[in-house]
Amino acid sequence: MPKKYIILLILILIAALTTAVIFLVPSAVETAGIDAPATVYGHGEETSSVEKPCSNEHPEWRAAQVIEGVNIEASSLCEPDNPFDVAVAVKGTNNVSMATLMQTHFAQDALTMSDDVDGDGDPDVIRIKLEVVELNGATPDDKLPINTFDIAPGIQPALWVFAPKSSGMALKNFNSRVANPLLRAPSPVIRVEQGDKVYITLENTHYLPHTIHLHGVDHPWMNSEGMDNDGMEEHAVFPGKQHTYEIQPRHTGTMLYHCHVQTAQHLGMGMAGMFIIEENRPNNWVQTFNIGAGQVRHPTAAVKEKFSQEYDLHYQSVDKSLAKIVQEANDPRLIAERMTRQHNLTESHENYFMLNGHSFPYTLRDGSVIADENETIKLHVANLQKSAMALHPHGHKVTALAYDGVDAPVGLSVTRDVFDIAPAQRVDLELQTKNDGLHSYGAGAWMFHDHVPTGATTDGIEPGGNIGLIIYKSLVDEQGMPKGHLEMLDQVFSKDYYAKKVAVWGGNKEFAPLLGDAGLLRPNYLRIILFGLVAGLIIGLLLVVSRLLKRKSL
Amino acid sequence: MKLIIILVFYSLLLCSPVAHSRMFMNDKMMIMNANPDKLPSDCPKISEEVNLTIRAGHKHALKFTGKMFAFDQQEWNVKPCAKINITFINDDQIRHQIMVHGLPGYLYPDGMVHLELYGEGQLQASFIVPSKKKTYLVHCELPQHAEKGMKAQLKVDGGDGDLPSIPGISAAVNADSYTVDWTFNTWAALVMCIVLGFALPLVLIMNAASLKAIATKLWITLKTRWKIKNQ
Repeated sequence: MPKKYIILLILILIAALTTAVIFLVPSAVETAGIDAPATVYGHGEETSSVEKPCSNEHPEWRAAQVIEGVNIEASSLCEPDNPFDVAVAVKGTNNVSMATLMQTHFAQDALTMSDDVDGDGDPDVIRIKLEVVELNGATPDDKLPINTFDIAPGIQPALWVFAPKSSGMALKNFNSRVANPLLRAPSPVIRVEQGDKVYITLENTHYLPHTIHLHGVDHPWMNSEGMDNDGMEEHAVFPGKQHTYEIQPRHTGTMLYHCHVQTAQHLGMGMAGMFIIEENRPNNWVQTFNIGAGQVRHPTAAVKEKFSQEYDLHYQSVDKSLAKIVQEANDPRLIAERMTRQHNLTESHENYFMLNGHSFPYTLRDGSVIADENETIKLHVANLQKSAMALHPHGHKVTALAYDGVDAPVGLSVTRDVFDIAPAQRVDLELQTKNDGLHSYGAGAWMFHDHVPTGATTDGIEPGGNIGLIIYKSLVDEQGMPKGHLEMLDQVFSKDYYAKKVAVWGGNKEFAPLLGDAGLLRPNYLRIILFGLVAGLIIGLLLVVSRLLKRKSL
Repeated sequence: MKLIIILVFYSLLLCSPVAHSRMFMNDKMMIMNANPDKLPSDCPKISEEVNLTIRAGHKHALKFTGKMFAFDQQEWNVKPCAKINITFINDDQIRHQIMVHGLPGYLYPDGMVHLELYGEGQLQASFIVPSKKKTYLVHCELPQHAEKGMKAQLKVDGGDGDLPSIPGISAAVNADSYTVDWTFNTWAALVMCIVLGFALPLVLIMNAASLKAIATKLWITLKTRWKIKNQ
């Protein structure tokens, strides 16, 4: 047979094989046949990522107690405030014993209280020293964050907070990477008495410049030395430097303090806290710091007259792309450039939403409002998020007492179940637990959360974000956790859940097979083998043809 | 100030017998685990007394690039069983610490000496190192201070190597990346070198004959000279 016919034949064969191979191309996604792939049960069997809902580290801190003559109210929470912190915050670091101070991480000059100027039995000159702390920051020694503070299981965004001046180790202990309990989000709530002479010294321990702006707090524009007293950007306190702001607030109310350098970014990193001015009463020792916000364990005389309990609720959000910048470099110049110029806040998102420094489920440990029936509770709410929020308590309608620190006039003292709070706004609310079908629908473990849908998520995972609980005492276990929700708690106290590895309904025995994750399709090996063989054959035949053609031409 | 330093010394003397009570604290400073007199078990006597003045502050970071806080020195060398008298001076208006890690726990609880100044000022404290050849970590433990440069090392008997990310001494384990300044000239240099690299073998092949002639000539000349030399 002449060569040209052989070549022709081979070419026809190649054409036929090419047609066949097109039908045999394997793909990454295929439709199933009669049976869809089996359900995969995720990581239900693994326990390493599942945490105990409550570590119950300090059960002795829960009881009502008296330390240094300071009455500290009971706190049923899983993680109650350290009562020694409360005692020092009420008396000042200069008026407590060394033994008490050693139970805290306060520096000996963190809070000095002196001079009963009006002779009413409480100190009127208050000196507060604040430092700036980076949580979950970078280290040149390895890739893991240091001075860690988990806002939810496995979630460690870098955060900047104001912290009372501390001393000793910043880590929990010298084998740990976890920050000591004084160093946490949110920046502490600061309380002073109306008319007190308050000196707030910012000692900038951080590697970028910062200020303190006393938002809404009655403060003169200059301090007594003729220096900046408004905390504006052009009077930044640089690393290693300090500056003292001076106030004598005449007006009471729930106000704010925050850094006003590169404000959008620094506020978003967590440099903002509540600043509350309490009514002047005789013998009124105010709890200057409420570490981690939440329940106030030493409410003031004026609050106790009308309310059975008092809580501070600090809402904040984190843009994970902004927070990541400080975890990915150590050179302050790189961090400054990336934060101030490369990162564009107008094109960014809020990914984490926190109530008192934690996202659900960690809010259950220290962010719950625990109430009896027939209580009247005062809530100070501040929105320090980037976006507006719509606070919604389940099972209750709450009443506005004050907006931005100014008492609401009768006509504006509205009772409703969604409060819209713009960024930086504060609202003082009255929560009544009287089961009357209006203020309360009775005992329960009622959620309260931002009803802007993103607010209840953690990087898009639900339930998360700033969900908290109003729990009635009949439904609280001895560790401050809601009773009878073990299955749910096991699911959400899991790093895998927030790492998006767990099917949301995979834990439900009846519906897990129906709503668990669909597995992967088995690769169709017959098809893959045939495709491979045919494709190889085509290449081989093409080579033969090319050789035949070459020979012919010679 | 002087009074405070004297008080510190007295308190150290008073507290010396019990290791865990070796703590001094006031509204200016804190000293933990100072040890001016107790010998480590492997030291028959103090070999030398070393007086170190260590300053801390952001201005000491100016001599390094990409740091914010630093000590004025990054390394100290002492003999085995040396007694070190530290004068710690804080040049900043904020807190700084000197923490020495890895010391024997029976003399230094948690293995460390911890000196802390709550603001501008100074303190003095002493401790005695064991005889072992070792490098001790010295840093300020405030969040992001060691990370941003306030880190140093103390070498006893020459030490057992360098610790990572000590400014001016050792590189970071998790190092930062910087952008290379690629300009038109950089690209031009690269392209030119590629062209040259491509041309080189061509030039060689094209001139193979004459090159071979030159090489042979050279070889013969060398050979004859060598022979003459040896004769």
